[in-house]
Amino acid sequence: MINISINGKKIGLEGPATVLEAARRHGIDIPTLCNHPALELWGGCRMCVVEIEKMPRLQTSCTVMAADGMTVYTETPRVVAARKSVLEFLLINHPLQCPTCDKAGVCKLQDLTVKYGAVAGRFEEGKRTFPESVDDPLIVRNMERCIMCTRCVRMCDNVQGAFAIGVVNKGTRSHVEPFSGGRYNCEYCGNCLNVCPVGAIMSRLHRYTYRPWQMDKTVKTICSFCGVGCTQLLEVRSGAIQKVSPVFGEGVNKGLLCGRGIFGYGYVGSPERLKTPLIRKNGVLEPAEWDEALALAERKMLEIKNLHGGRAIAGVAGGRCTNEENYVFQKLLRAGFGSNNIDSVARLGLMHAQNLLEDIFGQGAAANLISGIPRSDAVITVACDPTQTNPVMGLQVRAAARAGKKVLTVGHAHGLRRHRTHSLPAHIGTEGMALAGLLSELLKIKKLPGENPEFEAAIKNFELPRLEEVETYTGVSAAMLSGAASALKDVSSSSIIAGRELAAHRDARRNLMLLAAIGYILNSRFFLISEHPNEQGLIDMGCAPDTLPGARPIALQTFRERYEEAWGVKLDPEPGLSLMEMFEQAGDTVRAMYIMGENPAFNLPGRKMVKSALGKLDFLVVQDIFMSETAAMADVVFPSLAWSEKEGTYTNLEKRIQKLEKAIEKNPEKKVFLMEDWQILMEIGKRAGLNMPYTASSDIIDELARLSPLHAGLGYGDLAETGMMWPYKGKPLRMGGRIPALPVSRAEAPSKEQALAPVLVLDKPLFHSGTLSRHAGPLLDIMAEAEAKLSPETGSVLEVTDGAMISISTAEGEMALKVKFEKGLPVGAIFAGNNFGEAGALGLFGYELEPESKTPILRFANLEIKLETGKL
Amino acid sequence: MKSEKSQREKTFSPGALTRLEEIKKKYPDKRAALMPALYIAQDEFGWLRPEALKAVAQYLELPEMTVRSTATFYSIYKHEQAGRNMVRLCTNVSCMVLGASTLKGTLKTLYGLAPGGTSPDGRFQLEIGECIGACDRGPAMLVNDDLHTELDTKKLIQVLESYK
Amino acid sequence: MTRYLIPDACIRDIGEYEKTGGYQGLEKALSMEPGQVVEEVKKSGLRGRGGAGFPTGMKWMFAAGDPKFPKYIVCNADEGEPGTFKDKALLKNNPHILIEGMAIAAHALKAETGYVYLRAEYPKEKEILEAALAQAHEKGFLGENIMGSGARLDIQVHRGAGAYICGEETALIDSLEGKRGQPRLKPPFPVNAGLWGKPTVVNNVETFANLPFIMRAGAQEYMKIGAPDCPGNKLFSVSGHVEKPGVYELPMGITLKDIIYDHAGGIKNGKALKAVIPGGVSAPVLPPDKIDCPMDFVSVQKWGSMLGSGGVIVFDEDTCMVQVAHRALQFFEHESCGKCTPCREGTGWLRAILERLETRQGREGDIRLLEDVSRNIAGNTFCPLGDGAAMVVLGFLKHFKEEFSEHIENGCPYGRTGKRPDRPAPVQ
Repeated sequence: MINISINGKKIGLEGPATVLEAARRHGIDIPTLCNHPALELWGGCRMCVVEIEKMPRLQTSCTVMAADGMTVYTETPRVVAARKSVLEFLLINHPLQCPTCDKAGVCKLQDLTVKYGAVAGRFEEGKRTFPESVDDPLIVRNMERCIMCTRCVRMCDNVQGAFAIGVVNKGTRSHVEPFSGGRYNCEYCGNCLNVCPVGAIMSRLHRYTYRPWQMDKTVKTICSFCGVGCTQLLEVRSGAIQKVSPVFGEGVNKGLLCGRGIFGYGYVGSPERLKTPLIRKNGVLEPAEWDEALALAERKMLEIKNLHGGRAIAGVAGGRCTNEENYVFQKLLRAGFGSNNIDSVARLGLMHAQNLLEDIFGQGAAANLISGIPRSDAVITVACDPTQTNPVMGLQVRAAARAGKKVLTVGHAHGLRRHRTHSLPAHIGTEGMALAGLLSELLKIKKLPGENPEFEAAIKNFELPRLEEVETYTGVSAAMLSGAASALKDVSSSSIIAGRELAAHRDARRNLMLLAAIGYILNSRFFLISEHPNEQGLIDMGCAPDTLPGARPIALQTFRERYEEAWGVKLDPEPGLSLMEMFEQAGDTVRAMYIMGENPAFNLPGRKMVKSALGKLDFLVVQDIFMSETAAMADVVFPSLAWSEKEGTYTNLEKRIQKLEKAIEKNPEKKVFLMEDWQILMEIGKRAGLNMPYTASSDIIDELARLSPLHAGLGYGDLAETGMMWPYKGKPLRMGGRIPALPVSRAEAPSKEQALAPVLVLDKPLFHSGTLSRHAGPLLDIMAEAEAKLSPETGSVLEVTDGAMISISTAEGEMALKVKFEKGLPVGAIFAGNNFGEAGALGLFGYELEPESKTPILRFANLEIKLETGKL
Repeated sequence: MKSEKSQREKTFSPGALTRLEEIKKKYPDKRAALMPALYIAQDEFGWLRPEALKAVAQYLELPEMTVRSTATFYSIYKHEQAGRNMVRLCTNVSCMVLGASTLKGTLKTLYGLAPGGTSPDGRFQLEIGECIGACDRGPAMLVNDDLHTELDTKKLIQVLESYK
Repeated sequence: MTRYLIPDACIRDIGEYEKTGGYQGLEKALSMEPGQVVEEVKKSGLRGRGGAGFPTGMKWMFAAGDPKFPKYIVCNADEGEPGTFKDKALLKNNPHILIEGMAIAAHALKAETGYVYLRAEYPKEKEILEAALAQAHEKGFLGENIMGSGARLDIQVHRGAGAYICGEETALIDSLEGKRGQPRLKPPFPVNAGLWGKPTVVNNVETFANLPFIMRAGAQEYMKIGAPDCPGNKLFSVSGHVEKPGVYELPMGITLKDIIYDHAGGIKNGKALKAVIPGGVSAPVLPPDKIDCPMDFVSVQKWGSMLGSGGVIVFDEDTCMVQVAHRALQFFEHESCGKCTPCREGTGWLRAILERLETRQGREGDIRLLEDVSRNIAGNTFCPLGDGAAMVVLGFLKHFKEEFSEHIENGCPYGRTGKRPDRPAPVQ
C-alpha cells in the first residue's frame, strides 16, 4: 500500500499510479492538456504541475509516480500561477477565434482559461500563422490553434498504428500534418480528432453547423458496421445525427473507432431512404398505404403456403437487424408460413467455422474477450485482415505487437505488415496448407498438453504434408515455418483470429481441424471474423434452416416442443434449405421469398443466378431502408428503420449482447410513418393469426428469455454499460468433444502455370462494407469508386499502370475498374471489393457449395484482364 | 506497355545502396540508420524531396511520415531545393561581436543572398547558422564541409569566389 | 602545471600517441576488474564535463549495477553550446585520448559497443576521428580481444544533423535511435534504460579524455589537480574580445581573471572589460567585478552563473548587452525542441521583446515583462534548455538593467538602433 496525501486528503494506493491518477481516482481534479489515459506519458504541456513537499521544483503530476509518504498540493498560489502562465504562453499563438471555432464549448483550452483567468494579452507581436488545410475531404487542420500536445500523433502512431500524421519541424515552427502536407493517406479512424483538446484537428462533416451546447441529445449506442460492436456516442440535433464520437474508456472499443464507425453514419440521413411501402403494379413499384401492403404480403404468402406448402417459402434474415427482429423473423417464417427455409449471411463461413470449433471444444469456443488479445503471448491471424474487416479488433492485434508479443500472420494481412513479428505469406486460398506445415513443425518441438485425449489422438493421426509439399503449394518455405513454430514454442497463451474464407473453402473441415489443433496446442482463444454487426445474433436467433433460437437443432424433439408449445403451432422437424439452395431452387420448389435487410442480388456470389432466381419467384417481399438491387425486384417493399432509429440488441463476435439505443425518433417529418423491422413482421404475423403480443422490443427479448436456454432469464436490465457476455445467465449447452474425422483428401498442388496465374480476390476495404456505406457521403469522399488493388509487381506482369482503367471479365461477368497500386500486396493477386453498384466484384465470382455446410466457396473461371482503351 | 511511372521513380543508386548496407550494420535497430540514410538520400536526390524521404522509408521499412517527421526536426538537412553550395555563416554571440553582421550585409549586396535564400544564379544558399565551434577565430562560416575563419569582407569574397 | 588533455603539438598518429604514454591507461584498466575501474573513477572525483558536472563514477556505478545487457557507452560530441569549441580541439589535436577513454569506460561497464554522437558541423573532425579509430583497430586497441584481455569494443561515429537539444543526453539517445531528438521523461534514466532500453552511459568528450590520465596516474594523483570538489584540468574555450582566443587546459578552480588576463592575453586592443559569460551562452553573464570567480562547478554557481561547458565569452566596453541578449534568445528560440509549453512559446516571446528594444520600439514595462516571462519559464520546463534561456535574460537584467532601460528611453547607447539586427531565417 502506497500512502500519500493530496491537499490534506489521505489516499491509499493499491498499485503504482501517477500522482494525477491517484488524485483523479479520489475525486481531485488536476487540469491536463497533453495527458490522455489511452496514450503514453508525455509531460509537455506543464498544465498539471503540482507542489510536492521536499521537491523544490513544481512537478508534472501526470509523470511523477506516487511514492509512499508523498505530500502533494494541487492548487497552491504557486501552482495556480504556473498554470496561468502556461495558459498565457499557449494563448500567445493560439488565435482567439472562439466565436467561430467549432470546438468552443468543448475546448479544454477555453475551459481552463475560464478557470484560471485570462491574461490580458501581454504578447503584442503577431501570432504564428499557418494556412488552414482543407485539402482533405473529411479532416480540417488548423495548426494555428494547435497547442502541440501531440495527442493526435501519439494516438496515430502508438494506438492506431497508422503512422499517418506526425510533427514536422522543430520548436515554435512545429506543426502536425500528414506526409503529403495536405490530404491524408490514412485509415481515417478519426481518433486524432477525437483526442484533440482544441480545435486544431476537426471533422469537416459538421463544420459550422451547430454549437456543441445546441445538441438536443447525446445517445450512447452500438455501432452498426461490423461484428466488434463498438460503443459510440451519437450527437443529435433536429432529428439528425450531427456527429459520432467515441467514449474513452468505455465499451469493447474503449473509445477507439474506425473510419466506418465515425464517418459512416451519413447513410441514415440520405434522401434516398425509402419513405413508404411500395407495391408492384403493372410491373412498376408504386407507393402504397401500409395497410394495403401489409395485407397483400400476408395474403400472398399464405396463398403460396396453402397452394405449395410452407417449404415453398424461404426467408433471408438480416445481419444488420437486431436480435429481436431476427427472432420475430424466424418465428414468422416458421410458425406463420410453416417454413424452415431460413438462412443468412452467417452461411458465408462464420456459422461453419463456429460449428466445427464448438463440436470440438464445446459451445462458446469462439466467445472470447477482444480485450484479451494483447494480453496473450502470441496472436495468430489466419486468412484475414482484422484491421480491415473488424478494425478495432485489428487494433488489439497491433497493441499486442506494441506490447512485444508475437504476431504471426498466416496469409495476406496488409494492415498488420508493420506489426507482425512473423509471417507465413501463403498464396491466397492456401492458408490451410500453411497451417498444416505449421502444425507439423509445432508437433516436433512442443508437447501436447494432455487435456483432451480424444482430440490428441486425432491430432496424432493427422496426415500432415511434407514441408516441401507445403512450399510448392503455398509458397511458404520450410525455414519460415520452422521460424514461426520456434517463435511460438514457449507461449503459454495465444489468440487466433480466423477469417471466413478458411471455412468457405473446399478443404474447410480440414482447415478448421488444423486451426483447432494449433489452437489446442498453443492454448488459444479463438476469434472469428464477423463482418456484420449482428452476424452472431443471426446464428443465436435461429436464423438457420436447422436450428431454433438458442442455436439448438430443430430436429431435437424436446427442444422443438418448447417452441411449439409457446408459439401454439406445429413446427416442421426437417431442416430447411440453406442460403444458396433457396436461390438454386427458386421457381421450382421455392415460390416465394421474404428478405429482411439483406441484398442477395448484390451481396452473394453467382449474381446472375441469384438475380434470375429472384425473377422466377411468384412473390417477393423485401424490407430495407434503401431501394437495393434486391428490393428493386420485389413485389412488396417495406421501408424500415436504421440502427440509430430503433431499440434492440446486437450480439458481437465475442458473443456479447449489447443494447442499441434509439437516438432519433422515427417519423420525424410526421408525413412519413415508418416502422421497425419487427413491427412490420408483427403486423403480418398478427394478420396471419400468430401470437405476437409485442408492444416494445423488450417484449421480444422477454419471450426469447423464456424459450431459449441460452438466453434464459436475460432482460434489457442486464445490458447496461458493457452488455452481457456469453454464457449470459446460463450454462453452455453443448460440451464439445465431438471430434470430426480429418479428411485426408486435399486439393492437388497447382502446376507452375496455375501458381503464377493472376487470381481475383474479394477485397474487404476498410472504408466500405457493402450496401450501406455506398450511401455515406464521407466514406465516398475517401474512396469514391471501385478499385482493383494490385501490387506494382503485379502491375508490371499484367502491363498496367497505376490509375489505368482495366476491364476484368470472368465466366460470371465483366466490369471496368480503376487500377490502384498498393505496395506489399501478393504478386499476382487482384483485389476488388463488392461495394459499388455497377462494379461490385461479387458479380465476377461464381461459387460451389461446400458439401457439408453448404457454405458457398467463391470461384472464378476464365479470368481475363484487359486495358480499357480511351477511358483513362 | 511498361509502367512508365515506376521507371521514372528514382531510387538509390547501387553505390548508395552499398553505403546504406554498411550503415545498417552499425546499429542493432534499423531505425537508427535513419539519420545517416537521410544524408545519403540528400546526396542522391539533391535535397530531401518527398521522393527521397519515400526511398529512405522504403529502404528502412519505416512509415513515410516517421521519416519526414524525424528529418524535419534537424536543420542541417536540405529540406528545400538548395543552391549548389551551402553557406552557413555563424552569427552567434562570439562571431557577432567580432563583426559577423557586416558580413551578412556583404552577402546580401554582392551575392543577393538573404538568410534562408538562394543566390539568383543558384550558386549559393545561405543559412544563418548557430555556433559552428570556431569562436576563437570568428567570424566563421562553413561552405559545404569546409570551415573558413577570421573572415572580413575581403576574405569572404575571396573564399566564395573559389566555389563555383 | 600538468597538462594531459591537449598536447603542445597535435597528435593524430597512434604511434606518436603511444610515445607520450598513450593507451597505457587502457592497459592499466584492462589489468583491473571492471568494478575496480568504476571504483577508481569514483575515487578520482571526476565530474562530467558536459555542463552539469555530475560525478562520473556515480553514473557508471548505476549503469554497472543494472543487470541488463548489452550496455552501451555513448560519447556526447554534440558540442553546440555557443562559445564552446574545446571538444573540437580535443578531437582535432588528440583523437586517441577519446578512444582510449571510451575503451576504459567500456571495460568498466562491460560494454561492447560505443557510439560517438558527433555534431554535423564538424565534418573534418569526423574524418580525423575515423582515421584514429581505424588505427586503434589495427593496433588491437579496439575490436576483438583488446590487448589480449578478451574484452571487445566497437566504436561507431554517428553524425548529428544540427539540433542543439541533442546535447541533452536523453535527446541525444532518441536522436541516435533515429527519432526526433527530444528529451525523454526521467526516470528511467539512461543508466538503466538508455539506447534501445539498455543501460547506457553518456559522457562528454572531455570527460572520456580525463580517464587515461586517471588510470595511468591513479585517482590519488588526479585529485591533486584542480579544486577540491572539482579535481582535474578543465578545457576553457575563450572567445570574444581577447587578444589570444583559443582553448586553454587549466586546472579547475583557476579564476576567470587569470584565464582572461594571464592566458588569453587580456582584452583586445587594450580596451576595458565590460562583461563575461563564463560557461557558454546558456550561462548567465557576469560583470567585471565578478572575475575573481574560481572556475569550477561549485564556485561559479555561488558567484551567480554556471561553469557549463567552460565557454568563456569576453565582451569589451563597446559591446551592447541588449544585442548580445537578443542574439542569445534568437538562439534559444531556434533550438527549443517544442516539447514543453514554456520553452516553446516563452523563448520566442522573450526574443520578441528584446527585438523591440533592439529596434527602438521598446516601451515602459518591457523590463518587467522580460523578468516576468523569464520567471514563468524558469523552473517550469521539461529540460534545462528553457531554464537556461530564462536565466540568461535574468542575468543580463541583474547586471545591466540600466542599459536595457536606456534602450527603451533613448535607444542603443552604441548607436545601433534604427537598424534591424541579425536574426535567423524568418519563421515559415
